[in-house]
Amino acid sequence: MKLINRSNFISIVCVSFTLIVCGKLLFEKSLGFTDIYYTENIFTCLGISVLATAILSLHYYLQRFPFVPVVVGQYLLLIGVVFAAIWIGGHFTENAPSAYRDMFVSVTIPYVVGAIVYYVSFFMQIRKANQVFMNLDGEE
Amino acid sequence: MKFIKTREEDLEENYLELHYDEIDEETAAVMERLRPALKYIEGTADGKKLTVPLADMFYFETVDRKTFGYTKDSCVEVKETLQGIIDEYEKVGFVRISKSSVVNLYKIKRLQGDLNMRTLIYLKNDECLVMNRGYRAEFYAALNKLQGRKKP
Repeated sequence: MKLINRSNFISIVCVSFTLIVCGKLLFEKSLGFTDIYYTENIFTCLGISVLATAILSLHYYLQRFPFVPVVVGQYLLLIGVVFAAIWIGGHFTENAPSAYRDMFVSVTIPYVVGAIVYYVSFFMQIRKANQVFMNLDGEE
Repeated sequence: MKFIKTREEDLEENYLELHYDEIDEETAAVMERLRPALKYIEGTADGKKLTVPLADMFYFETVDRKTFGYTKDSCVEVKETLQGIIDEYEKVGFVRISKSSVVNLYKIKRLQGDLNMRTLIYLKNDECLVMNRGYRAEFYAALNKLQGRKKP
């Protein structure tokens, strides 16, 4: 089953974007930090949401390949495109000295958290299914 | 409608017996649900034609465009396609687990996940099948349906 398709692509981008922006604002509020590049960063969040959703939607076509190389490959593609965007952006505007490191952290943390949630849910689903099979056996 | 379960030791084959004056709606519905489960499937093994109870089938597999059905300890070639089997027998617990195989949910002993998120399916005859990630949603949906059916 295709989880990300044409009809829900925009909704997924919107939900991801809202969550990322809310997380960013809460984090900044808790630190008392004021973002002087607020507009630019909001659009960067939107760009990353679109890009990450597009890359994750490729997962459906890669299901016959082992999971670990697919997840690592998708991560490398995502971080590669993000770094390329920073590099290109650097030709038109001035980047912060920590731009690459900040983007690495901003992309890696949500990606790793997402991958862990996906992985844990996979094994929990198996545990639940095994309980169902045990119950079926008990009824026989 | 009453349901009476009686355990009889040394019975050669389990059987269901229906006692009725007339078939009412409730009884007809039960019979309708039982019908596919009590079906037989035709196949050939060693050049001989066989009929095997569908409930004895552990899984079906396609090899070189031929479909084979596997029971606890035997294998028969059947004329149905995997898609045909799913269309016909999905309601009695058959579900697709890969491009080339369909498994009977009632014959699964347990599942096990591996690091690459493939699901290993151990059957009651100790055979092991591999479910691709692409068929996970379909498999769990079928399992949930089956579980729902078991609820009173």
